[in-house]
Amino acid sequence: MLEIRGARRIFTTPEGGKVTALDRVDLNVDENEFVTLLGPSGCGKTTLLRAISGFEMLDGGTVRLEGADLSKLAPFRRPINTVFQSYALFGHMSVARNVGYALEVRGVDRAARERKVSDALETVGLSDMGSRRPSQLSGGQRQRVALARAIIAEPRLLLLDEPLSALDRNLRQQMQLELKALQARLGIAFIFVTHDQEEALTMSDRVVVMREGRIEQIGTPREIYRHPRNRFVTEFIGETNIFALTVDRIEGDLARARTAEGTCLSLPAAGRSRGEAVTAVLRPESLHPGAEGIAGTVMRSVYLGSDLVIFVRPEAGGAEIRVTTRDGADAPMTGDAINLAYDPAVIHILEDR
Amino acid sequence: MTPRVAQMGLGAFSLLFFAFIYAPLLIIIVYSFNSNPVNMMLWDHFTLEWYTGLFGLSERGPEIGDQNRSLYLESTDQMLHALRTSLTVAAFTTTIATVVGTATAIALNRFRFRARRFYNGFMLLPMMMPDIVLGIGLLIFFVTIGLNLSIVTIIIGHCTFLISYVFIVVQARIAGIDPALEEASADLGASEWVTLRKVLLPQLAPGILGGALLAFVISMDDLVITYFIAGTESTTLPVFIFGMIRRGVKPEINAIATLMILASVIIAGFGLWLRARKTD
Ligand SMILES: Nc1ncnc2c1ncn2[C@@H]1O[C@H](COP(=O)(O)OP(=O)(O)OP(=O)(O)O)[C@@H](O)[C@H]1O
Ligand SMILES: [Mg+2]
Repeated sequence: MLEIRGARRIFTTPEGGKVTALDRVDLNVDENEFVTLLGPSGCGKTTLLRAISGFEMLDGGTVRLEGADLSKLAPFRRPINTVFQSYALFGHMSVARNVGYALEVRGVDRAARERKVSDALETVGLSDMGSRRPSQLSGGQRQRVALARAIIAEPRLLLLDEPLSALDRNLRQQMQLELKALQARLGIAFIFVTHDQEEALTMSDRVVVMREGRIEQIGTPREIYRHPRNRFVTEFIGETNIFALTVDRIEGDLARARTAEGTCLSLPAAGRSRGEAVTAVLRPESLHPGAEGIAGTVMRSVYLGSDLVIFVRPEAGGAEIRVTTRDGADAPMTGDAINLAYDPAVIHILEDR
Repeated sequence: MTPRVAQMGLGAFSLLFFAFIYAPLLIIIVYSFNSNPVNMMLWDHFTLEWYTGLFGLSERGPEIGDQNRSLYLESTDQMLHALRTSLTVAAFTTTIATVVGTATAIALNRFRFRARRFYNGFMLLPMMMPDIVLGIGLLIFFVTIGLNLSIVTIIIGHCTFLISYVFIVVQARIAGIDPALEEASADLGASEWVTLRKVLLPQLAPGILGGALLAFVISMDDLVITYFIAGTESTTLPVFIFGMIRRGVKPEINAIATLMILASVIIAGFGLWLRARKTD
């Protein structure tokens, strides 16, 4: 439905330097899809959204919506609405008038407008707040007003720029679920911006990981988590262990590899060859205390409620390995000698190192 | 110094400060009710006759004689005429300065173009220029282009610097408005014109009103510039009062001054009330 090809945007800073905010970005969004743009601060997420909504001109590339080129279309003519990070509610209008604004400027008559406004307010659970001013609402309520205002004109595509970042954790999780449910109900595409990887994984059909104006990887949350393409994506998508290894020998369907310090790991043999250098990813939850595996000493542990994260220094030396285990009476203690077992099949080898 | 002493010191200082500022005003107000026609600094007894006299409601007693009475009434007439001129000038300048100043502030803040900074500086210049320079400059200008001094020249003259005042007040307000509001409006389907009408202007309203009040008060009050560009037929109240004092102080001046203080307080109070009204 939305088709972005070769989008490029280069800003000139006041000092005369150049910042490449978007660098040949290609992206397709399907009808009804929930796509999340994920990346560190300054990677160009907002710029990409603004290029879609029309507030930012591209220096190159095209944006098409259902086949039609948007570049000639002023922002106010695009069938796309935005939920702004700052909400951008109109302080001089009541909540109801805020929500009905898109209809008001289209000249929809009063009765129809009021009906739709009360529907929209009900959708976001603010039925009895229509006559208040935005300043009389809590952060979460304002967020819902912004949402109601953006969906009332039934856009083909809804853009959300970090809409949940100002909310506390509980409310944020609740809103995540509500947003997802709303998207399914409305049957329109959402492009959602966040720099919270957990949020991206829970909500999205597809995640777009960005870095310095480029797209590093596009995939379902599972693909991104299990098969990150490179080190950046791996590290950005969650705490993990990365090993730089050299393959020693192949034994049946296992390849034996070791780090520079001498820690040995077994990998699936498929595609490996002797002497090859590989970068392997082993997620903390794929490791657990066992009879054999990587030998080491527990250096410290961090209690996270149901889980316990322990940091293990390998016997052979090298970076500490992070392990997530369940807390309990038999939980490893600091100073314990430990063996970290794993299933070689879950080790992921990075394509680009 | 103990905190108590410090507090008392601060209290005393505040008291002196306010006394210093308001004592002159208070004296004028008190004397405006003093019936002594010869020496208004000597308290005689309470009267309202300077006020009623101002509006031609009472005639002075026998002590001024018939000839003086007609002179007296004539000067009262002139004064009311001057007041009317002042109000007319203020009404026109306020309207023009508010529209132009607001439009300029919006243009300079919301559109990027070359020499924006230059324009910004240019807008401040008339405000910083000494009144006397501006007055002489305007006079020479009007004479050069052959425009007779009249109420029109006063209005033009006042506009030249009051636009700057409105500009500054509105600009301060506009700088504080989140540009995302206008983007949100456009995003929701409003054209630039609709956005201006439904979002930007309502958001700016307190600033615009504040600027307008300021322009009105300054226009009513200006003496130096107006002194140069007012024709003989079109004297404003400050210029008239100035001339009156030069001919000798009449007790009516206290009454006029008191009324002007009252008007200023009402206008200032209105301005404060507008500002206090929550806009977001
Ligand atoms: N108007 C501008 N002028 C100059 N540089 C800009 C402008 N807007 C953005 N940039 C730069 O472009 C880059 C991308 O900015 P962008 O706002 O898209 O980042 P982001 O991914 O949304 O970051 P965040 O997560 O912090 O919101 C940044 O380096 C930023 O400094
Ligand atoms: Mg951003």
